[in-house]
Amino acid sequence: MTGFLILLVFLVLGILVQQLLGLPVPASITGMLLLLAFLVVRGSVPEPLRKTTSFLAPWLPMFLVPVSVGIVLHKQLLAEHGLALLMILTVSLIPGILICALCMKIGRSKKS
Amino acid sequence: MTLFSQPMFWATATIAAFVASQHSYQALKRPVFLPPILMALLLVILLLFVTDTSYQVYMAGGGYLHDMLGPLIVMLAVPLFMQLKHMRQHWLRISLAITAGSLTTVAVAWLLVSVFIGDELIATTMLAKSITTPVAVAITNELGGNAALVSGFVIVTGILGAVMIVPILSILKMDQPETVGLSLGILAHAIGTGRALELGETESAYAAMAMTLTATLHAVLLPWLML
Repeated sequence: MTGFLILLVFLVLGILVQQLLGLPVPASITGMLLLLAFLVVRGSVPEPLRKTTSFLAPWLPMFLVPVSVGIVLHKQLLAEHGLALLMILTVSLIPGILICALCMKIGRSKKS
Repeated sequence: MTLFSQPMFWATATIAAFVASQHSYQALKRPVFLPPILMALLLVILLLFVTDTSYQVYMAGGGYLHDMLGPLIVMLAVPLFMQLKHMRQHWLRISLAITAGSLTTVAVAWLLVSVFIGDELIATTMLAKSITTPVAVAITNELGGNAALVSGFVIVTGILGAVMIVPILSILKMDQPETVGLSLGILAHAIGTGRALELGETESAYAAMAMTLTATLHAVLLPWLML
């Protein structure tokens, strides 16, 4: 439970910082960055937090089911554009793959 | 029946659907096209349809689970911190591949939607397609997109990437473990990282690192670009 408390504390800090600075970045992401900064400064992950993470991480997708079910509200949109969207998602991956591979290659040839 | 209007019933049903999906996923030898989240999603939608329940009624219970997302997103700092050590050797080309690769695929998708569908909500939602679902859901409202749609886009992209990336890279003879892992993490987030786990240790380390770095980069960058 200590590990979970650490997460909640950083979430609250994230909310505070996000509101004080008026950031367009969500509070949870701000909280994540604050926790990351804390871990970098500390140099290691506190044991309770490590335990909580290894327990909760495999369950993360479950907590995304409710918001994803909201797709039922967009039946019409999917019926209309579903196929086009599927093709766009497929096609748009290809330039991404090429750029990734090229960047890794450029780095490699420079290094050798 | 009144049971189907009870929030607690729907919270329980969601957990049951996910647990059942996870067991089936293992039993079916981890099919890449049917990750547990997709199966659970389809099961819940089927149940809503059979019981003739509205999303609003469902969400009164689904919201119990949804509210856990905040602390779980904060938690992503832990794997990110542990993966940063992999970056030390090749941090420059890794940063380049992550930034250029992820922004390219998003830009192309955004452009294609704008040209062929011309719907601003869909185009904006498309911007978050390359990042892991919890982060995509968190930033999409900020961007002016739709959280339910983005979740669908992200899941489908992940499956497509997990299926397409390895064959494409081997045709191009650019299938070094680092490149494969990085591409899977950048373009297919958690589902790609799951695929990388089956390929090897280097692949999965690079995929996990690329996934969290892409998510962090986009979560910070996209809201500023949209201002």
